[in-house]
Amino acid sequence: MKKILAVLLMLCIAAGILSGCGGGTNTPAASGKKKVFVFGDTTFNAENEEPDINPHNAYSGWPCIRYGVGETLMKIADDGTLKPWLAKSATNVNETTWEIVIKDAVRFSNGKKCDAAAVKACLEHLIKVHERAAGNLKIASMKADGKKLTIVTSEPNPILMNYLSEGYGCIIDMETGIPKNGCVVGTGPFVATEVVTDNHVKLVKNANYWDGNVKIDEVTVRTISNGDTLAMALQSGEINAAYGMAYASYPLFENDKFKFSSIQTSRCFWGMMNFHKENPGYRIMSDPAVRKAIAMGINKKGFVDVLLKGYGYTAAGAFPESFAFGRGVNTVSYDPGQAKKILQDAGWVDTDGDGIREKDGVKLAIRWLTYPSRQELPLLAESAQATLKDIGIEVQINNTKNHNSIRKDPKAWDIWVSANVNAGLGDPQNFFDTYCLDSSIKNSGGHHSDNLEKLAVQLRGTFDPGERAKIAVKMQQELLDDNSYVFCSFLRMSMIMQANVTGLTAHTCDFYELTADLDIK
Amino acid sequence: MKHYAVKRLLQLIPILFAITFLSYGMMRLAGSDVVEQKMENTDGTVSQEMIDAAREELGLDKPFIVQYVTWLGKLARGDMGVSYVSGKPVFSTFVSKLPATLLLAVVSILLTVIVSIPLGIWSAVNQNRAADYVIRTASFVGNSLPNFFVSLLLMYFFAIRLNWFPVISRDVSLQSVALPSITLAIAMSAKYLRQVRATVLDELSKDYVLGAKARGVKFQTTMMKSVMKASLVTIITLLTLSIGSLLGGTAIVESIFMWDGVGKMAVDAINMRDYPIIQAYVMWMAIIYVLVNLITDVSYRYLDPRIRLGGTEQ
Repeated sequence: MKKILAVLLMLCIAAGILSGCGGGTNTPAASGKKKVFVFGDTTFNAENEEPDINPHNAYSGWPCIRYGVGETLMKIADDGTLKPWLAKSATNVNETTWEIVIKDAVRFSNGKKCDAAAVKACLEHLIKVHERAAGNLKIASMKADGKKLTIVTSEPNPILMNYLSEGYGCIIDMETGIPKNGCVVGTGPFVATEVVTDNHVKLVKNANYWDGNVKIDEVTVRTISNGDTLAMALQSGEINAAYGMAYASYPLFENDKFKFSSIQTSRCFWGMMNFHKENPGYRIMSDPAVRKAIAMGINKKGFVDVLLKGYGYTAAGAFPESFAFGRGVNTVSYDPGQAKKILQDAGWVDTDGDGIREKDGVKLAIRWLTYPSRQELPLLAESAQATLKDIGIEVQINNTKNHNSIRKDPKAWDIWVSANVNAGLGDPQNFFDTYCLDSSIKNSGGHHSDNLEKLAVQLRGTFDPGERAKIAVKMQQELLDDNSYVFCSFLRMSMIMQANVTGLTAHTCDFYELTADLDIK
Repeated sequence: MKHYAVKRLLQLIPILFAITFLSYGMMRLAGSDVVEQKMENTDGTVSQEMIDAAREELGLDKPFIVQYVTWLGKLARGDMGVSYVSGKPVFSTFVSKLPATLLLAVVSILLTVIVSIPLGIWSAVNQNRAADYVIRTASFVGNSLPNFFVSLLLMYFFAIRLNWFPVISRDVSLQSVALPSITLAIAMSAKYLRQVRATVLDELSKDYVLGAKARGVKFQTTMMKSVMKASLVTIITLLTLSIGSLLGGTAIVESIFMWDGVGKMAVDAINMRDYPIIQAYVMWMAIIYVLVNLITDVSYRYLDPRIRLGGTEQ
């Protein structure tokens, strides 16, 4: 009996040590008079090329701008237009020359003035070390004169200011340079004090903030890659808000204790058809009737309403309607009856009674290539598999992490379905340049249209945003008319927070998360 | 004894060669590389020239054997390279994760020992009585629950409902390690207490126990001085193998509790095809297992002098 008691005593001591040293969970807003905010984020990690918050390193500009450390010359509004931020104005003097005037009040967080010379030094360093930025910006030379910065590009670049609104365009103090710990000095409402890759960023209030009073004293952004952990951390009150919550967890927070900030983004779930002649499925995919039937046979609304539980928007074209270049495109609607008739008229008939149509001995089966890292994509594949089967098309799903290797093999797939931010910088050009043209690096299906190529040239030389929108609509219509691309839905991005959090707002471009407006009531 | 230990340590060299070569080769067979993985994660729209340049910079454009020999050459000079993903030195990255892994391993093993040995003995001594059935049922339940499920249950009750422990680890501390180590201890205890029970039962059925009883030796004395000592060889074997496994990290538990240890690091590295980190991990695992086996063998000798070490000593 004594030994049993001894064992129980040991267990009690162990439990006591473990629990006693704690003191319960973190109550972020209750650390004395300081307002402390803890933000859980699934995306801040080296895998996403965000090892720190130095905007001149890979994609680290994203956390820099999201967490309020850095700011850009212009800001992307939710309708895709550009608004002045650090810049008072940005004027296109001629096709290759831009004049940018910096606001008088702008200061770095170390108190130094941010003038044109500081911006020039920052951009010079950026294009020296950041290959992607240098390729996008095409800056040939710069001249600083007080508050006025003149940029000359090596070729017409109508979307220079859009590119400068990307995360890498955050203006940082190059006199301080890039510290080893990655804690760069920006102009934003928060100052980074500690960055631990794949773990956390610690921020404090910028006492010298040039654009208003910052309400939160300290912020910790925690990388929480597991969806269940993120949900539990928000429920337990360890974090005040979460970014990247799985849809399945949303119902846990649909009550008075929490609130959502949601917005339609330009992240689109869409498919590209394979037109390569060496593809074994060429006879199927080159048939316009089949492509049209596929477009008509995917139940976009059902996918969004049922599988995404309403957390999405159906798509007609490549861009959401909140952008000027996303309005006015026409495409076919979900109509299985009409889709069946189109296939029937084209000679695709189910002769062996297995529910799948055939023509000239070829079975109407398509290989659907997609990947699992976006939770919506496998769901879309299953949804399409079910609805296309109803019209007599068999869908063979290949859901693999290696899709990027496979899509380069023209014989290995018939439709490649992916999720991409199609207008992250508020402009349509990048989408066409990347996926739809002869020169596109991701035009893996080998799509070609003479008219589209001509329109792309026109788009690259057009500076007026209204005219660019019109051209972009025509280009989308080209893709939709021959059903070579099918756009299914757009992501509804949400941040979930405790009910007492204010000023945390989701934006179409997915930037500007932590701002001076952030507060805990 | 020394000769035996040196021989075992020398065996580590060919093991390290073989295992690093195999892992290098197998990662190539898995397809894709870090440049491609990064592109996918970032919706990368960079040109093919930039992709090729990135591969060239990392040496990924070279034949497999050249890459391996280059890596080996650097290792011989004490340079483990830098992570392809974070750009940080592999050695410092690895070392920074070790305290968390060591703490989790030590606390988990301690909890396992505290729970499984007394309960296993108690269950054996009370064979086929109520206590035995309760313990065996608990063991069955513990064995049936996957770690991730236990983690979520513990989080729900102890972090959300009772607010005793944090959901996410904030630092390498006893408070933060509590839930991850209890998760691991539940799984290990459930397994070990049955094995302890079986071992003790086996010893109890031997003639010397009956003889001791016939001579009037107290049961507790027989248990502590003979049965327990004889059972320790089996128990130590089990525990040392578990220590090896725990020091290699426990990716699922580490991921769920955001415990910043080597297991999560290894899984992330494999996902991203971060070869330098994977190689460091493989070497760590090989060293752990060789050392753990060596320590186990030596401990056998102390527990039972009749056991010969590798045929080198009487």
